[in-house]
Amino acid sequence: MSSSPSETEAAVETEPQAHPLQEYADEVAGAVGGTAEVQFDTIKVSVSNDSWVDAHLTARDRFGLVFFSWLSAIDWSNQVEVGDPLSDEVEERLELLSALGDITEGRMVTLSTDLDPETPVIPSLVEVYAGANWHEREAHEMFGIDFLGHPNLAHLYLPDGFLGHPLRKSFPLLTREVKPWPGKVDVEAMPEKPSKDEPSTENPES
Amino acid sequence: MTIDSATMRHLSEAQVSVELETEDMTLNIGPQHPSTHGVLRLVAKIDGERAYDVQPVIGYMHRGYEKICEVRSYPQITTIVNRIDWVSGYANEIPFIVAAEKLMEVEVPPRAQYIRLVLTEMARISSHLVFMASYPLELGAATPLFFALRERERVLELLESVTGGRFHPNFNRIGGVKPAAGAGPTQKKTTQDLPSDFLSETMDAMEHMFKICDELEDLVAGNEIILARTRGVGKVPVEVAAAYGLSGPNLRASGAAFDLRKIEHYLPYDDFEFDVVTGTNGDCWDRWYCRLQEIRESAKIIQQAIDGIPSGDLQAKVPKMIKVPKGETYVRAENPKGEMGYYLVSDGNLGPYRLKIRSASFSNLSILPWALEGVLVPDIIAIMGSLDFVLGDVDR
Repeated sequence: MSSSPSETEAAVETEPQAHPLQEYADEVAGAVGGTAEVQFDTIKVSVSNDSWVDAHLTARDRFGLVFFSWLSAIDWSNQVEVGDPLSDEVEERLELLSALGDITEGRMVTLSTDLDPETPVIPSLVEVYAGANWHEREAHEMFGIDFLGHPNLAHLYLPDGFLGHPLRKSFPLLTREVKPWPGKVDVEAMPEKPSKDEPSTENPES
Repeated sequence: MTIDSATMRHLSEAQVSVELETEDMTLNIGPQHPSTHGVLRLVAKIDGERAYDVQPVIGYMHRGYEKICEVRSYPQITTIVNRIDWVSGYANEIPFIVAAEKLMEVEVPPRAQYIRLVLTEMARISSHLVFMASYPLELGAATPLFFALRERERVLELLESVTGGRFHPNFNRIGGVKPAAGAGPTQKKTTQDLPSDFLSETMDAMEHMFKICDELEDLVAGNEIILARTRGVGKVPVEVAAAYGLSGPNLRASGAAFDLRKIEHYLPYDDFEFDVVTGTNGDCWDRWYCRLQEIRESAKIIQQAIDGIPSGDLQAKVPKMIKVPKGETYVRAENPKGEMGYYLVSDGNLGPYRLKIRSASFSNLSILPWALEGVLVPDIIAIMGSLDFVLGDVDR
């Protein structure tokens, strides 16, 4: 990858090999009042809760990011019921992400904001992007995030009356509670090397 | 008591007006209607001939893959993502594998990349052929079904000869592709390249595909009933399509020349010449036509790729125990149904900390309440079918 930004206006001179997307990311971050980070070709712009909707309006109207790709959240938690725990202690939060793109050059920006995991509330984006409707319903039932001003925050996938928010890290995977993952331990001897000490119980005739 | 004629007329008119008054009816379509490609339920309010306030009810196929992926290791996840959009299972693996490779900074050998590209395009052809089969059928034309499914079978057989699976190939490995199936018991080599006649047979099949596209075009484009039912029906302007996150052929039919194969460099598409097919009106007809043209373009890509396929390894050197370093990335790819992407959050473990699956059909379907507002009842099926969704891809 050739990443020599020859035409940069020397906005960031801290690193000699700035990512080719860094300039654009900083431009977006400056306009929406957030901080930009480029990781593995993915631009993430973190904004505050208050400027969540305004940031989307700016991204849509000034930067032409008219394509609403997706919205979801990450539960950064130190108490993990399912999967591997984080290696380092983190500040517990729900990170709300929304991915926007344009439909001409292929630019893409992920906007991010941190929510309080106890009472996550944020204004809805439905007025800005109509496509946010279903994505917010999904995030509501999966993470318990309340989207203020959403027209119909009903369950999308889960049955009515379902308790809990399945994609939270505190939500156990119920099948694993009942039956441990069968692939975790090989309880049988491998077929090539039958152990001589114990007689095979599976096929007594042979 | 006698009734004079004026009163009589008044009464009869009153009677008539009562009879003509329409009453809203709630119509349930599904969850097992054949045109819904899975289990989708629509609740529509019907006022006379027109439908209002159509609400799709989804979730019958929800399998919780995002949660399951948190307890699986990276090599196990390819089997899961196969099953998201089962009509083009192979194509689902690509963005996930590329995301993991990006975090691991693995360079995939060129031959493996070309094999991935050929198989992805074959998955696209087979997915579009399912649409070519099912969409006219939903509009009442049964003949194209046989033409399209016969050819799809040929493509699937070729796919199977390499991967060993028709629908769920599970063929990609982090760092390359799996040694192909069909090595036979006599060969002791641990790695096996493509089956010997795969390339020549694929070349023939693609040559034949152009003929089939002509036949399908004759069959459908020459059918006046289909033209009448699709032209000008279900128009989606490009700005509405983008706001709802429509992608793939559905977005291009509205006029946006936006193809991730030209933008994201997840596979070596830059090496080939192909056109981005766009429509003008964004109606059902354009969505059908875009997909037909895309079959032709895919066949062109496959032929060029086979002509220029490099030799070399199938696998880059990767550790036996795949651990993906810490990091976050979003990788998207142009799948047959549209943009499919994975937001991968890794903490350096054997499995991801979080894997957000962005599937094309979910966003494509979410436009239904907008697109079906006030349309004629038979057009519900015409519009719904033209969006080409698969419920496994919606519900994940």
